[in-house]
Amino acid sequence: MSEQRVIVVGGGLAGLAATIRIAEQGIPVDLFSMVPVKRSHSVCAQGGINAANDVARQQGYSEYQHFDETLIGGDYLADQGPVLEMANFAPKIIDLLDRMGVPFNRTSEGYRALRLFGGSLFKRTHFSGASTGQQLLYALDEQVRRFAAEGKVKMYEFWEFLWPVTEGEGEDKRCVGIIGQDMRTMQIRAFRGDAVVMATGGCGLVFGKSTNSVICTGGAASRCYQAGAWYGNPEMIQVHPTAIPGADKCRLMSESARGEGGRVWVPRQKGDTRKPTDIPENERWYFLEERYPDYGNLVPRDIATREIFDVCVNDGMGVDGENQVYLDLTHMERDYLNSRLGAILDIYDKFVGEDPRETPMRIFPAVHYSMGGLWTKHTPGDAVPGEPRAVVHKPGDSAPIDADLGHGMKFCAPDNMMTNIEGLYAFGEVNFAYHGATRLGANALLSCIFDGLFCGMSVSKYVTEGKPKQHPASGVDQSVFDKFVAAEQGKMDTLLSGSETGASDPDTNPYTIANELGVIMTEASTVVKTEEGLEKCLAKIRELRERFSRVRLGDGGAWTNQSLSFTRAVGDMIAIGEAIAKGGLLRKESRGSHYRTDYPDRDDVNFLKTTVAEYAPGGDDECNIFYREVDTRFIKPRPRTYGKTDDSQSKKTQEKAEAQA
Amino acid sequence: MDNDSGFMNRHYFLLRRLHSLSGIVPIGIFLLNHLLTNASIAWGAVNSRGSQHVSAGTIESVGEITARQVGTFQHDVTFINNMPFLILIEVSLWLGIGFHAILGVYYARTGKSNTSRYAYQDNWRYSLQRLTGYIAIFYIFYHVATLRWGWTFLSPTDTPWSHEQAASTFALALKGKVSGISAGGIAVSLFYFIGVTASVYHLANGLWTAAITWGLTVSEAAQRRWGYACAGLGAGLMVLAWSSLIGFLLLDVSSAQKIEHDLHAGHGSMVETEPHAADETQPLAEAR
Amino acid sequence: MSKQAPQQGRTIRFRIKRCDGPGKPSYWQEFDIVPEKNANIISCLKQIAETPVTVQGEKTTPVVWDSGCLEEVCGACTMVINGGVRQSCTGLIDVLAPNNGDTITLEPMSKFPVVRDLWVDRQRLFHNLERVKAWVPIDNTYSLGAGPKESPDSQATHYKLSECMSCGCCLEACPQFNIEEDESKWDESFIGAHAISQARLFNNHETGKQLKDERLEELSGKGGVGDCGNAQNCVKVCPKEIPLTESIAAMGRATTIHAVKSFFSGKK
Repeated sequence: MSEQRVIVVGGGLAGLAATIRIAEQGIPVDLFSMVPVKRSHSVCAQGGINAANDVARQQGYSEYQHFDETLIGGDYLADQGPVLEMANFAPKIIDLLDRMGVPFNRTSEGYRALRLFGGSLFKRTHFSGASTGQQLLYALDEQVRRFAAEGKVKMYEFWEFLWPVTEGEGEDKRCVGIIGQDMRTMQIRAFRGDAVVMATGGCGLVFGKSTNSVICTGGAASRCYQAGAWYGNPEMIQVHPTAIPGADKCRLMSESARGEGGRVWVPRQKGDTRKPTDIPENERWYFLEERYPDYGNLVPRDIATREIFDVCVNDGMGVDGENQVYLDLTHMERDYLNSRLGAILDIYDKFVGEDPRETPMRIFPAVHYSMGGLWTKHTPGDAVPGEPRAVVHKPGDSAPIDADLGHGMKFCAPDNMMTNIEGLYAFGEVNFAYHGATRLGANALLSCIFDGLFCGMSVSKYVTEGKPKQHPASGVDQSVFDKFVAAEQGKMDTLLSGSETGASDPDTNPYTIANELGVIMTEASTVVKTEEGLEKCLAKIRELRERFSRVRLGDGGAWTNQSLSFTRAVGDMIAIGEAIAKGGLLRKESRGSHYRTDYPDRDDVNFLKTTVAEYAPGGDDECNIFYREVDTRFIKPRPRTYGKTDDSQSKKTQEKAEAQA
Repeated sequence: MDNDSGFMNRHYFLLRRLHSLSGIVPIGIFLLNHLLTNASIAWGAVNSRGSQHVSAGTIESVGEITARQVGTFQHDVTFINNMPFLILIEVSLWLGIGFHAILGVYYARTGKSNTSRYAYQDNWRYSLQRLTGYIAIFYIFYHVATLRWGWTFLSPTDTPWSHEQAASTFALALKGKVSGISAGGIAVSLFYFIGVTASVYHLANGLWTAAITWGLTVSEAAQRRWGYACAGLGAGLMVLAWSSLIGFLLLDVSSAQKIEHDLHAGHGSMVETEPHAADETQPLAEAR
Repeated sequence: MSKQAPQQGRTIRFRIKRCDGPGKPSYWQEFDIVPEKNANIISCLKQIAETPVTVQGEKTTPVVWDSGCLEEVCGACTMVINGGVRQSCTGLIDVLAPNNGDTITLEPMSKFPVVRDLWVDRQRLFHNLERVKAWVPIDNTYSLGAGPKESPDSQATHYKLSECMSCGCCLEACPQFNIEEDESKWDESFIGAHAISQARLFNNHETGKQLKDERLEELSGKGGVGDCGNAQNCVKVCPKEIPLTESIAAMGRATTIHAVKSFFSGKK
């Protein structure tokens, strides 16, 4: 038994939580990460982590309502069982993090403080300043370091995942390890694992500039996809409404800024050149508050994003005529801001050179999160809901389902969050499971840790009781692994063979190809999509793929060749980009983050379905799309309006035009 | 060497703290006392009792002020010299200095100054602490060797010091000539100036860092406040040190010799108020 | 805001210290760049990677450097810029090189072994966190209720200490922390301000306290807090403004008390 091992790829919240859970079950874990795990992208999460809590509960909130909010937030595209389980499990996660020493903000009496977040009218977001992701990641990092010191976990930092190793075909196909590459020595090696957990995050870099870290290429997920794993809802990409545009990336300005009272506005007067602080209250247009009186600035992200986009791009009302609106915190107490939001205000200060405590911030939407990802299975839990509920769940209504373990998803079932390839799991942002068509703010940290802890048990059950029990990876013939190593070596040699020191012909330059991919993807497949735009995007992707086949690296070296790693990822980004664009093209409706001007309404009849992309090399397109039913056992989809007023944009614009005339 | 470093490692904390402590007790305490004594060559001027054992004739020829200065200084030196178990005090002091110096050099060698890149005031303090430590080692050795042990060959002024004629012999050792100053004297004086300044800095800054090392000053505010206190103490000690140096440099050697002669002659009958004749005996230095 | 608007379209020069790998000699290369709007060091390095041609017209390999979040929370992109250590993502070109012809010098951190060019291996930094057992020794990850209550003041202190992103600025600027390529000597070399501060963080935690004595033993030994020379550069270069010197003093106090207690309780 002791020779069994599990491989975890990715050292963010999901990967670390999984590592801890699995190692705790007595199964040694090999943890692979392209960066020291403490530098994983989870550090960038700012706002907080959602969970039902005692205060909200006594105001009429419940786990069930959290579940309900998450579903409608995601426009009902998520399978309901796993979401229910996640919402029910959430309070346990907060308690555990608390025990691990996460410095959650506190009330004066010493309890965990709460803040308001998008998509809810209740304070249910736990937070640690404005760098909650960082604080949670550090807590898990510390526990993993402890396990590593005790020899239960072996760390492979600066190792890149190249490919999953599988044996068998069809039904028998099973993942038995990975091929990895040391990013310093460039050594390519096979590692055996009785199960492989992918926890490699999102793919923001497909869009060039996003709020993501430079490592978030989606390369690892793409490699699994190209190895036969299905990719679910690729078109569901969240564009965060508030980011600071920059030359290298767009920096996130957390939703918590609005949760704590930040207000979004533009001058009512088009082309107003006054300083924002000189513009009187009645000459400011708080368009979100005006259009959504209930939720105000805290409507879900896709809605806020579209409204900002609309105001700037369609109405031309952006500040200084540019694509930017004000996010204003200047009406709030300095000390309060510092204790609640200090970290993000410092980011703004450092990168823009203006103090957001004094001057309203200038922000614009940016690509932020991939709701889509590797398609995963699960075993439904024991709840028998009967007909899906059509009544709107209101505050104070008693929850029809209690919050006990295993109602939504069966605890310890081996296939929870397993991809269509046996033994290959996908945890956290890299899977498609929880957030449907839009993720609610402060649910990402939750889903990552939930996967690690809850589904980590599934991995250990699979390893100890599933196929690996009789046929451990250690018994798989070495030739299986050698074959995969040789394949990766071959791919690398091909890339290097075309290298030329200092090569910079834009036609075949990997950096240029990546930039062009980012531009077209952002243009065609983010806030507003059209058939025409997506067709153009797919044509461009075909062009880029052809150019990539002739790519020339500027570095042919055999030591710490960063160009090689990047170039390889560019090829993988092209593959994912195609799935994103094609998924968007074929989804002829608007749902959550996916907004088609040519199909502006949600179409539950035809598209209350999961998009599944399957890699199909050889053709002009390398992506097959098919659909699967969404599990809607619990709640019947209802319109997603967030109480928008009739005061339509066109009417407003008209009024303004009149006023100007 | 392995055994040495083994010992060092086993008692690492204790040695570190003893090193810190030895800089204060005995070295710091002694330095304070020593500078006070020496400064009496300058501040003795205001001590009206300083000239009480000097004959009226001498006072008339050298002046009341000089008589007070030399008288006070010699009185202090004599007092120290008459302390019981002086040798024990001296040996423990030398041991303390040796311990502090050897470990200090060992510790200082673990660091690498980087003031060229990080020119913060505190970083300069750090580098100066090490530099002044090295200077102080050489200076104290030279000081003790030439004056206490009589290794005058080490000194360009090649002059022995005597505790019976403390002021004049020291002034000579410093200046190299009875009147004016020799080239060697300039070198020695400069070295004394640098050495004593370095020692005072080393003590004041050492006191400041010791409070952090021992954890007395934790908050930034406490460190700042204690910093002012140490700077004040350092400034005070610097005044003592420099004033004694200036005092000795300005001291007229032959006048001092006269005064010391008076004091020496009257030593057996200190209570007597009858002044002695200035020309009864030759001053010691001239006898050579 | 009386700062002068930097000239758009200006050319600036990068002077970069490069090294092809461990044991290889370092050499300097210069690149001229027309920075984008709102450029930072990272975006300029990307430009160089796209067109790696030196000032002399020599084609070369793209410069290798480490980076991650680009928001100054991951610590990866730390390097020595114009002689001082900092993150390169916050290195705004408009501030560092506002005029045509200005030069920016980039070097790898000097206290860690170079992997290649500007990328260094900071494994020792993480190893030192292990030395002080920088974690809360929880029993397990099962549901056992909430953690200890905490006052807002105490939380504020802990949060500040917990913001350390292990970037290594404090170590790069520290005259007492010096490069040590021999891994076997890490445990006896100066542990660094970051680890001392983490020891303080966990010694203050209700559950973290259980390992207090072990942490203080480590900090009392060779390479512990006693090796600090109080140059206090650490606190000045810390991008997160963590009160590192207070942590050092606090651990100085704790080790003093620990030693006295051990002496009288006869444990050692």
